[in-house]
Amino acid sequence: MKLHHYETMFLLHPDLSSEDRESAIEKFSNIIKDGSGEIVNIDPWPLRKLAYKVQKQTQGYYVVMDFGAPGDVIQELTRNFRLDEQVMKFMTTKLDDEFDAAEAAKKYASNNDAEAQTESDSAESEGKEE
Amino acid sequence: MQRPQQNRYKRRRIYVRRKVCRFCADKTLVADYKQPELLKNFITERGKILPRRVTGTCAKHQRSLTNAIKKARIMALLPFTSGHAIE
Repeated sequence: MKLHHYETMFLLHPDLSSEDRESAIEKFSNIIKDGSGEIVNIDPWPLRKLAYKVQKQTQGYYVVMDFGAPGDVIQELTRNFRLDEQVMKFMTTKLDDEFDAAEAAKKYASNNDAEAQTESDSAESEGKEE
Repeated sequence: MQRPQQNRYKRRRIYVRRKVCRFCADKTLVADYKQPELLKNFITERGKILPRRVTGTCAKHQRSLTNAIKKARIMALLPFTSGHAIE
């Protein structure tokens, strides 16, 4: 089946232990793999303050998954996100209709440099404004 | 006719400094909802999206910027309004 390129971000409850978080990430990545999807990258963020309260919590753990999957996997993934009480928020974005695993991975290999650059850039301009 | 034009010129020279779209100036810079620190430069203290005439962003990038800010709000990376923000 044809794969599309997706990115999913979800927010985990701050009271979870690191093992709980890992098992949750594994659970969702298994849903993608079972639906013949391919995972490019999983990026768990450290504990972060939220901009507003979510389920009475002021902080949480974000996880970003970059993957290719056929469309009906997203429905299954969404259904599981809704059922799972550890997940406070989630959002799936379609990055592209076509999915090329090699190209997606290439983007990630050089992404670390690019990210560092944009960070320094934004810091620079902030300094200018002040 | 000549006078107001002259005045306008004068004013322009004195007050207006041409603003350049930050995303056009730096091609590697992309409006991404996963970078709330970058997006914070384009919202007011109350959390509203700043207009193009204030930031100087070009139309194309303002559209992508708006979408990125709205996605970041949904994911609780940016506040919808300062009234609900945690401080």
